[in-house]
Order: sequence, then structure tokens, then C-alpha cells
Amino acid sequence: MHRVWGIFAVFLLLPLSALAQNAARDEREQEMQEMRARIEKLEKLVAQLQKEKETNNGVATAPAAGDTLQAVATPSSHEPPAAGPVTSMDHSDNQGAATNSVERNFPALHFRGFGDMDFSATDDKTTKSGFNMGQLILHVSSPLSEKVSVFGETSFTAQAAATATAYNVDVERLLIRYDYNDYFKLSFGRYHTPINYWNTAFHHGLWLQTTIARPEMIRFGGRFQPVHFVGMLAEGNIPSGPVGLGYNAGLGNGRSGNIARAGDGGDVNDNRAWVVSLFSRPAALNGLQVGGAVYGDSITPSPALTGNPRFQELITSAHIVWTKETPEFLAEFTHVRHRNSVTQAEFNSDAAYAQVAYRLPGVGRKWKPYYRFEWSNINPSDVLFTVSSQPAPVVNDLTGSTVGVRYDITSLAAFKGEYRHTTRKVTDPIVNGFFFQTSFTF
Amino acid sequence: MRTKSYVWICGVLAGLVAFWLITIRAAGTPAEADVAIVVSPSNPVNNLTLADLRKIYMGERQYWTTSSPVIVLMRSPGAREREVILRVVYQMTQEQYTHYWVAKVMRAEASDPPASLFSYGIVQEGVRGNPGAIGYVNMNDLRSGVKVVRIGGLLPGEPGYLLH
Repeated sequence: MHRVWGIFAVFLLLPLSALAQNAARDEREQEMQEMRARIEKLEKLVAQLQKEKETNNGVATAPAAGDTLQAVATPSSHEPPAAGPVTSMDHSDNQGAATNSVERNFPALHFRGFGDMDFSATDDKTTKSGFNMGQLILHVSSPLSEKVSVFGETSFTAQAAATATAYNVDVERLLIRYDYNDYFKLSFGRYHTPINYWNTAFHHGLWLQTTIARPEMIRFGGRFQPVHFVGMLAEGNIPSGPVGLGYNAGLGNGRSGNIARAGDGGDVNDNRAWVVSLFSRPAALNGLQVGGAVYGDSITPSPALTGNPRFQELITSAHIVWTKETPEFLAEFTHVRHRNSVTQAEFNSDAAYAQVAYRLPGVGRKWKPYYRFEWSNINPSDVLFTVSSQPAPVVNDLTGSTVGVRYDITSLAAFKGEYRHTTRKVTDPIVNGFFFQTSFTF
Repeated sequence: MRTKSYVWICGVLAGLVAFWLITIRAAGTPAEADVAIVVSPSNPVNNLTLADLRKIYMGERQYWTTSSPVIVLMRSPGAREREVILRVVYQMTQEQYTHYWVAKVMRAEASDPPASLFSYGIVQEGVRGNPGAIGYVNMNDLRSGVKVVRIGGLLPGEPGYLLH
């Protein structure tokens, strides 16, 4: 009992330590404010001196603001030559320490990291309570030229096995993209499949998502949907005015013999997987996105199943999200159909979730309570989901609720605590659990 | 005793007069100036709707034309003009803005967040020197060499202008 209180005390102390950080931040912001005021004062002085100098030299003065508003304000004859390209990219934007360099160099290399530390305690007799290291994610973005960029995401994951001696390192994403214009961007590499919203909105950055974990239907290492995709992808906007349409269309290797993984080293058969998604972000409703996707593949599981069947997979999905925080709303539905190539039998399974969160106003703005309902209805005869020879866990029916709260310690770190109530098969016990997480980006 | 009361009354009256004077002065201060959206004079764009401007600032429209990428310039945190843009265009707080751009880069939808520049002078130098740049500046601080873009058909200072 004392141990539990001790753990709770540790987690409660985290927000308190954040208060001390906020005081230091306020002081720094005040300094920045003073510095900015001085710069602006000096700029005004320079402008005034320049104007006086031009007047003394008998040169026409720069147009006043009112004149400028009438039309293009053309540079005066004494205007200094234009500065070089200005694309100084400030990665510590909210820190106020802008790097005002006025030159863009290629290639540039930008790093961002994500990390998390977790604690869980459940009444599931098959798991143990305790702390565990989450993932360390290193994300790189590197513009090689105005139109070509490289993006990469690497994960370092602590292994759960008692005999494990090292972290598991995985290349989660690596792609090179050529931007022709807003309507056509072509890339090659390893992606998170644009098959639903969550998979391409939050990736491995747990700090980005409101809750501690992904919905089960799109969990990493799961069998229900192919989370990764190796191949090529075209994406862009569709000229549609206020409707704000966009698309993704991809061709790739699809699932590997282990159906929870993508075919990184090559496809397991001669059939390519394909995915097409369409979404709308209406101009009149900033924050709303609705969309859907269709994914097709031919799966050859390994080790081979009895009769050596292949399976035609067709996944259809739909989503509607409201990305504002007052409230935030996400809902997705996915239907998976597998057809056995030998028996021609079809197996249909469905999964969905709906999540709502609300950023509290005023002094409570660091707090964001949330609730998520998850549901899945898995066809028990679908061997791809239930066979035990596959390394990934079997997929079962699920009805679950998650209620929790996110507290933003700073603008780049958050503490989350949640309670989950999960029911799987009728024969399985109901599982209750408490989960805590500190997630951050740097 | 009576003298003491007079002193108190005079003190309170003096305080009220001072408060009134300050109020009058504040009322006489011109309202905060509109924020002008500026581009390079070589940029053919003269008018944008608020929705267009939002798409540009949110990184959903990244090209003026196929050969001309958009370079978005922001002021650094604390500048009033930035607060106007965050409130009207992004409809976000500073924290939400940070979160938005971290997510945007993570999604590989942009390779960098917009540049945050310390002063309106640097913003205008940047716009002047880059045909694809777009920035914003207090209308009273406009200098030569930049073009003011109409927002919804209106210029800063005109009735109904949204960026203030």
C-alpha cells in the first residue's frame, strides 16, 4: 500500500516541479520582450536617420504607410540590394530564441526527438505492474533542395523479454520526396500506411497524441491493419476551392510473411499492395477533416498455413476528426475483408474507436481530460488473425473504455494518467488498469 | 481631526482626478494598428481570402506557382502582430502553434516550421529579398520595397479588415 502511495506521490510531484520551471520561463520571456522592444526602437531610429539622410541628399523619401497601401511600394533608388534568401528555421520557436540568419543552405539537417516513460498497474494476472521505458524516437528532416526532402524516423525500444540484452532499433520511416507543386508530390521509401487518420497523424510521437496509447486497431506490432508500407506514394491537394480535398495514392510491398510487418527486404509475392485515400479539410470549418481510404493486397503468410493458401485483403476505412482542443474529437472505422484463395471463403472483421477530449479554459488550460471508446468485432474463423504461428499477438474482439487526463507540464512535455476497462472474448476476464506516462519532445 | 479628514478627502480626490486623466489619455490613444500582409513586389498576388491566407500560414499551400515555393515568415513570440496572426489566422494559442508545427514536420508535410524573426525590419528585408516570401507587419511600420496584399478585398485600415 505504501509503495502505491509512493508512486502516486512521485507522479503528483511532477506538476509541482513544472511550476518552478514556469517561473523561470516567465523571467526569460520578460527579458526577450525587453530585447525585442530595444531592437524595434533601434530599427525606428535607423529608419528615421535614413529618411533624414535621404532628405538632405535631395532624394525622394520612401513612401509613407498610406502610400504603400495604395499599391506596390517599389524600392527607392537608394534601397540596399535585396538580402539573400530568408528561411532561417527556428526549431526552438516557442523559446523566443529565434535564429535570424538570412540564408537557406542545402542540405540542411534538423533533428527532433520524442521519448516517454511509463507506469502500469492492472488486474490482469498475465502481466506485471511496474515502470517501463517507452520508445526513444529520433526524427530527422533534411531539405536537399527547394523541392527535394528526406525524412526519417528511427525507434529505440526496450525489449520486454527477461533475457533481453539490448534495445531493439528499427527504421520506422525513411523516405525521399520530390515536390512538383501543391498538387503532386512523389516519394519513395518506408511509410506509415495512409490507411487511417491516427497512423499518419501521430506516428511514434506519443507526445503528439492526447492519450497514452494508440487505439488497438492501429497498434504497432498488431495484425489488424498494415501499419507500415514500403514503396512509393503520390500525394497532394486536389483543386476544389472551399472543400479542401487532398489525396494519397501508393503502391508497395504490402504485408510480409509476418503480417504485422511490411516487406522491407522485398515482397513475399508478386502482387503489389495499393492504397488510395481521399480527405477533405473544408475552409469554412478550420480543424475539421473527413476522409476515407481503400487498401488492397495479396497476403502470403509465413510459416505457410495448411493447404498453402494466399489471402486477398481489402481494407476500407473512414474517419472524421475535429483537431481543435475545445473540444477535440476523433472517430474512425475500419472494415477488413480476407478471401482465402483456396476455399474462396470470405472473412469480415470490423473495428472502430471514438475519442473526445477538452482543453480546460483559463487557469486550467494545462489540463485536458479525455475519453475513448474502442470496439472490434473479429471473425474467429479468420486464421490470419487467430493463428498462433504468427509472431504478433492474435486479434480478438474488444470492447473498451479509457478515461484519463493530460497535463502539459511545459509546451513540450506532458504527463498523462488514465484508467482502462477492457472486455475481450466472453471467456476472458474483464481487465481494469491504471496507466501513467510522461512523454516529451526535444 | 477635521484637518486630517480634509487631507484624506483631498488625497482621494487627487487620486480620482489622476485616474480620470489616465483614462482620458488611454481613450485618446489610437486603437492598435491593423496588421498588413506583405509580399515581394515581384509576387503577382494582390488579394487573398482569409481561407487562402490560413492555408499558406498552416503550410497546406506551399507553392505560389510550380517554380515558386512559399516562404512563410513569422515574428518571434511576444510581438503583437504574431498574436494577431495566431488568433485570427491560425486560431491557436502559442502552445497549440508549437504543437501544430512539431506534428507537421513529424508527418513529413513540411521540412521546417516557419522562420520566426525578431523585428519587423528583418521581416520586411526578408520579404523584399525573396519573391516567394510572405510576412506581416504593423501597418504603421511599413517600409518601401514590399507589397501589401488585400485580405478579402480590403487593405489595412479599411473598415471590416480582419487582421487587428
